[in-house]
Amino acid sequence: MSVKVRFFARFRELLGTDIMTELKVGTTLAALVSGIAKKNREGYDAIFDEQGSFREFVILMRNGKRVETADAGKTAVADGDEIAVFPPVAGG
Amino acid sequence: MLSERERERYKRQILLFGEEGQERLKRAHIFIAGAGGLGSPIAIYLAVAGVGTITIVDMDVVDQSNLNRQILHSDRDVGKKKTVSALEKLREYNADITVNAVDTTITAENIRELVGRADGIVDAMDNYPVRYLLNRVAVEKKIPFFHGAIRGFYGQATTILPGKTPCLECIFPKAPPKEVFPVVGATPGVIGTVQATEVIKYLTGQGSLLEGRLFIWDGLTSTSEEIAVCRNPSCPACGTETAAHKTTGKKK
Repeated sequence: MSVKVRFFARFRELLGTDIMTELKVGTTLAALVSGIAKKNREGYDAIFDEQGSFREFVILMRNGKRVETADAGKTAVADGDEIAVFPPVAGG
Repeated sequence: MLSERERERYKRQILLFGEEGQERLKRAHIFIAGAGGLGSPIAIYLAVAGVGTITIVDMDVVDQSNLNRQILHSDRDVGKKKTVSALEKLREYNADITVNAVDTTITAENIRELVGRADGIVDAMDNYPVRYLLNRVAVEKKIPFFHGAIRGFYGQATTILPGKTPCLECIFPKAPPKEVFPVVGATPGVIGTVQATEVIKYLTGQGSLLEGRLFIWDGLTSTSEEIAVCRNPSCPACGTETAAHKTTGKKK
């Protein structure tokens, strides 16, 4: 199955965006994002902490609906899903 | 009533929303939190649009490194209080409106009084702790909150209508870490003018606002998109559960 991952802001600068990935059925949202993020150490560290958990400010959306990062490890993605990963932007 | 001078001055926008719309702008009081990168275009465009009363708050002094983006301030202002410089510029832009420039740090203690009876709060801050304070007071006073934030070539904006749309804490419950953020001045130019447009639309009743929609601008690719955002029923700031507790608390 295939899903699309979109990164925003700083995450996009480090990891690119609109990444199409072929996945095994049952892959979780957390495994999907961490698999892509691992391609760039800085990108991974921007999203995940030392324990490999999502940093608390990271926003995850699946098909336009919010998924709590705490639930990402038990949320399986489905064929055709569009996942958005972004940080709040803070400057003014 | 509009004066003859005002009719002439605002002629081109009266074509859009009529004298009634212009009078609504004239009667309005908008609170702008910050006179920096976002605050500059927001304040300038609201001033020239004829928003009758603008309160702008900042505690900072103009620094040389501000000048690439904070267009309310220029070389001659370096070392001056931002409020002094902002007041001068806004008066030059439009002497027919009232500008209150308040030199203070926004805190949990003073924020209610600072906002007073404003018709809207505009977020031109550079940090989440104060944004959360603004959001809370907007929810408490049930006044709209026009959020904007930027970094680099990238920015976001949304319009929060308490009780109707998600609030800032529904969308961003946790603040990102503090940093000295990179920025090119055109980015707050884009986002600040989106916020100013939202304020003008809200006050004149035009168009559809960024309600429940997070507008996202990526200047590097010149693309914009939006993400639908939802209310969080257990939001500590605006959640229905929290609100119920508050009411119970008051009754006691």
